[in-house]
Amino acid sequence: MLVVVTGISHKTASLELRERLALDEAGALRMARELLDGGAACEALALSTCNRTELYLYGRDSPAARRAAVERLAQHAGAAAAELEPSLYSYSGDAAIAHLFRVTSSLDSMVVGEAQIVAQMKAAYQQACEGGCTSVVFNRLFRHALEVGKRVRTETAIGERPVSVSSAAVELALQVFGKLKDHTVLIVGAGDTSELTATHLKAHGIERILVTNRTFAAAEELARRVGGRAVPFEDLEGHLAAADIVISSTSAPHFVVTRELVERALKRRRHRPIFLIDIAVPRDLDPEIDRVRNAYLYDIDDLQRVVEQNRGEREKEAHHAERIVAEELRSVNDWLRSLEVVPTIATLRGAVEQIRRAELERLGGKLADLSDEQRARVDMLTASIVNKILHMPTVKMKEVAGSRDCALYVDAVRTLFDLGGNGSAQESHDDVPEGAAAEDAADVGASAVAHDLDTAAGGPPGATIHHLRGTGTDDA
Amino acid sequence: MEHASVIFLWIAYLLYAGAFAVFVVQFLTRSPTLTRVGLVVAAVGLVFQTVAIIFRGFSAGHVPFAGAYESLVMVAWSVALVWHVLESFTRIRAVGLYVLPVVLILLTVAWVEYKPPAQLVPALRSDIVILHVIVMLTAIGCLYVAGGAGIIYLIEEALLRRRRAGGVLGRLPSLGALEKLIYHATLLGLPFLTAGMLAGIIRAETFNVPSWWIDPMVLLALFAWALYAVLLWGRVRADWVGGRLAWLAVTGLVVLLVIRFAAVPYFSGFHTYGG
Repeated sequence: MLVVVTGISHKTASLELRERLALDEAGALRMARELLDGGAACEALALSTCNRTELYLYGRDSPAARRAAVERLAQHAGAAAAELEPSLYSYSGDAAIAHLFRVTSSLDSMVVGEAQIVAQMKAAYQQACEGGCTSVVFNRLFRHALEVGKRVRTETAIGERPVSVSSAAVELALQVFGKLKDHTVLIVGAGDTSELTATHLKAHGIERILVTNRTFAAAEELARRVGGRAVPFEDLEGHLAAADIVISSTSAPHFVVTRELVERALKRRRHRPIFLIDIAVPRDLDPEIDRVRNAYLYDIDDLQRVVEQNRGEREKEAHHAERIVAEELRSVNDWLRSLEVVPTIATLRGAVEQIRRAELERLGGKLADLSDEQRARVDMLTASIVNKILHMPTVKMKEVAGSRDCALYVDAVRTLFDLGGNGSAQESHDDVPEGAAAEDAADVGASAVAHDLDTAAGGPPGATIHHLRGTGTDDA
Repeated sequence: MEHASVIFLWIAYLLYAGAFAVFVVQFLTRSPTLTRVGLVVAAVGLVFQTVAIIFRGFSAGHVPFAGAYESLVMVAWSVALVWHVLESFTRIRAVGLYVLPVVLILLTVAWVEYKPPAQLVPALRSDIVILHVIVMLTAIGCLYVAGGAGIIYLIEEALLRRRRAGGVLGRLPSLGALEKLIYHATLLGLPFLTAGMLAGIIRAETFNVPSWWIDPMVLLALFAWALYAVLLWGRVRADWVGGRLAWLAVTGLVVLLVIRFAAVPYFSGFHTYGG
């Protein structure tokens, strides 16, 4: 049983192909369902964002699962599988899980450290979960992946510094003014970047947005979109006097705002600081403005430099994040291994056998009067009882091995017998009311088994037995 | 008692140093949580220092402000206290990195000048002198903080002008916040300075201190007072913002430092009890 992932992302495929492969919510669920129904996998999840479309599968035969997934994707894109092949990436086992963790931590994103992917992954998982496409393994795995994403975000500064021109402009404005509430921004010219910056500023609490443009209609249009007020272009000096932040992006071939204009405006605003951002090429604002006291001028190159620096810092943080991913991978791997049928049967048998031996040893004194032959018979009898009891579970588990329900069975056995190596046991307790959980534990056996073990003088050491005893005494 | 006082002061010193280390890490990692951790550690340090001062007072039998050791410990305490008070009012979270070194340096100099507690010289045994000293120390704490904020303001402004935004963003408080800090600290400090100077004048007049008004320290103090008055007047009139306030606060700080470390020990005719 292996986790397999296959798909395309901005790193491997053109925008055109990504568009053809994009899935809406219903489409993603349908694709997962079809893969499950086709028997290619036991669990399936489709993730589709603007930069990637990926299918996660958990199945017995990973090459077959991958083939089915590729065919399904090709069918959706209306292309032949072979045509898709060069743009696809596929991972299985550890590599697939590592990929999942890297995606959720936004290490694989176009902009490393962007925050959206966690929400997108969460939505994809919730949908698949509600649609019944996930089970023990994916429930655990994707929840874990979301945790990893959160951990990377809190433990590294990967998402801290802005890496777009507009958000860098906002950050600089914040550095000058502290709070943006009670401040006014003036937008000169109606470009896309200025609109974006205005939106960012609004998100940071700025209240008054003034928009001005040579053609008043364009100013009105932009003002409507960003929730501001259009003001006539003629009284630029007056608007400059009212504005704390100025964003300029006109297509004028000459300076729209000169040093003298800013000096006059500053006098009118009693020299309260003004922060001017020039995102136009050629520039709108006279670079001399920066020499005026309490006027700060940043042009597009300055902002780009800030962005570059921040990108560099994110790259550094990404190394740290990779270490977290590797660490988390190890912990989830241990758990996945424990979900294999054969080792689970072996552990179960080992645990029960140890109980049997412990009980025999405990009775050692009372069996002393028996002859060797009689003792051998007692031994055989107990062994045979154990074998009979374990026969059916063993057969049943071997039957389900590789089927969809396999992980469910293994998980159940590990939980019921408290065989360890099973993180979901603790996790599932969270969902169960506390009283019920305690009751369960008592039923499983703490009272009988563990109590006896405690009284057994020098019972045989063994991790499983100790584990049993631990649980028992804790709850008793 | 004196032993306990010294031990408590050492603990306070270590806590301040620890808080400073936290702020350094915060500066490097830009983690907002660490700011809070640093503040709490420094606050615990402040509590220990307060206890140390109270113990010293008991062991000396008077308010501990005489001599270099006691007065420097008091100034450090006042700076730390004012910083915490202003921090809780203004919610500027990143000044610790700059305030704590001042506190640590003051305490280090204090250690070097350590002297066991002694009786007050007769000239200082007066309520109005104690009032004068306490009020002055509070004023000095406020104005040191204002000056420190002024220094950061000027550095940050220069960095922004030189396009070194990487060293500024997320690491230094915003210019707006620093300006507010300068204003609030001065607003708090100037009344205390005024009251302290009045108490000093009353004391000098009642005891007929000869020609106290031409003492270099008194003149410098008057100059500092005028600087801060101008600063507040300029700010309230709202014509003066940013850089100019910062320059005034820094100039004021320089004058105060000259008073404390040059005028008092070397030039002043009286006031020498501070060491």
